[in-house]
Amino acid sequence: MQSIINSIIKNRNLIIYIILSLVTFNSLYKTSSVHYNGIGKIGTYLSGKSSFFSSFIYSYFDLKDKNQRLIDENFELKKIELKYKNQAFPDKSLESNLITNASVILNSINKSKNIIVIDKGKNGGINAEMGVITSEGVIGIIKSVTDNYASIISLLNTDLKVNAILKNSSTIGSISWDGLNSKILKLNDIPLSSSIKIGDTIVTGGMSFYFPKGIPIGAIINYDNSSLEGYYDIDVSVFNDFSSLSNLYILERTDNDEIKNLLND
Amino acid sequence: MTRGFLRNITFYTTVLVFQLLIFNHLKIFDFITPFLYLIIFILYKTSHNKTILIILGFITGIIVDLSMQTYGCNTFATITICYLREWIEKYSFGVNSNLPLAMIKGTPLINRLTFFGLIILIHSLIYNSLIFFNIEVLGTIIFSTLTNSIVTFIIIWLISQLISNK
Repeated sequence: MQSIINSIIKNRNLIIYIILSLVTFNSLYKTSSVHYNGIGKIGTYLSGKSSFFSSFIYSYFDLKDKNQRLIDENFELKKIELKYKNQAFPDKSLESNLITNASVILNSINKSKNIIVIDKGKNGGINAEMGVITSEGVIGIIKSVTDNYASIISLLNTDLKVNAILKNSSTIGSISWDGLNSKILKLNDIPLSSSIKIGDTIVTGGMSFYFPKGIPIGAIINYDNSSLEGYYDIDVSVFNDFSSLSNLYILERTDNDEIKNLLND
Repeated sequence: MTRGFLRNITFYTTVLVFQLLIFNHLKIFDFITPFLYLIIFILYKTSHNKTILIILGFITGIIVDLSMQTYGCNTFATITICYLREWIEKYSFGVNSNLPLAMIKGTPLINRLTFFGLIILIHSLIYNSLIFFNIEVLGTIIFSTLTNSIVTFIIIWLISQLISNK
């Protein structure tokens, strides 16, 4: 207490100066319209800046909630998109249902057989052999499922081949990974008679149990037509960045069971 | 009540009366109003209390503001120079700043010029900034500050020389 009083006495001139300045500015604010407007503007500017700063800080605290809300919203929109596609284009190869969305909890891109693990399993409605996508394109296929987790064979797995077509010409091929560059896939089985060019988009072909037709995979960045086997050697730049996956959507073809039964008979 | 105190009161009142009755109505080149009353704060003896100086500045500022209809611009400019006077003294006079009446007698001319000039310039800058209160007229603020400071400086310098000769 004594030190506070000493401090006040020591700084009395500053305190008196501040008090008298406030009195003066109060008088300016109340009696002069020019200063009333000017000080009002400064006040608005300062309060605007400070609330911007505080909201900027506070926005970090609820980023997780906001992110979850966006994921949920995205999921609902994705469902609507697929529903619309199913209705607008009555083509069996396009039909699929979005089952759920899930977060990646384990991911790798530096092996030849990369696996992704997600935080949902049977309890979330996921079964083996369902397709996995993001808003950018194909990710892989569900390999095995436990109650709460599921593993995915990533496109960056040398064991996986996905049926693919050139979006413009509908030439059928298959996409796979050669285990070298995590951003480049190989498009196989495209005959030299087909017309291709750099920049052509590759999408899923719809001729598999996993993906409906038309889900983006990547774009051609390079091709070699000197092969003696009669097929192009095509490099495809993949749309997804596999090193920064976070939220995935799981889908399944609507008519899978019927086709499988047919094949078993 | 010493003779010195009565002399100071007389000096203060005379300066203020001159300011209110003559200099407030003086419009040199239509826009320059010299602030003679700043001489009070320039000649205020350093050995006196700084708190009293600030309060004196506040009262003087209010009186001038009321007569000039400037709402508080003079008051704020005056209390600011009263508050800053200690630093201005130290900057202007250096080691001699603690000597009584150091600013009037026995110090180099350049020190006195700096002291007078800084007090008048700072006051004028604050006053004009508050009067215009608009960054878009910065050029006008600087021009008014400079012209006002020069005229005020000349008047205060001449009067202070007369006083010191007496």
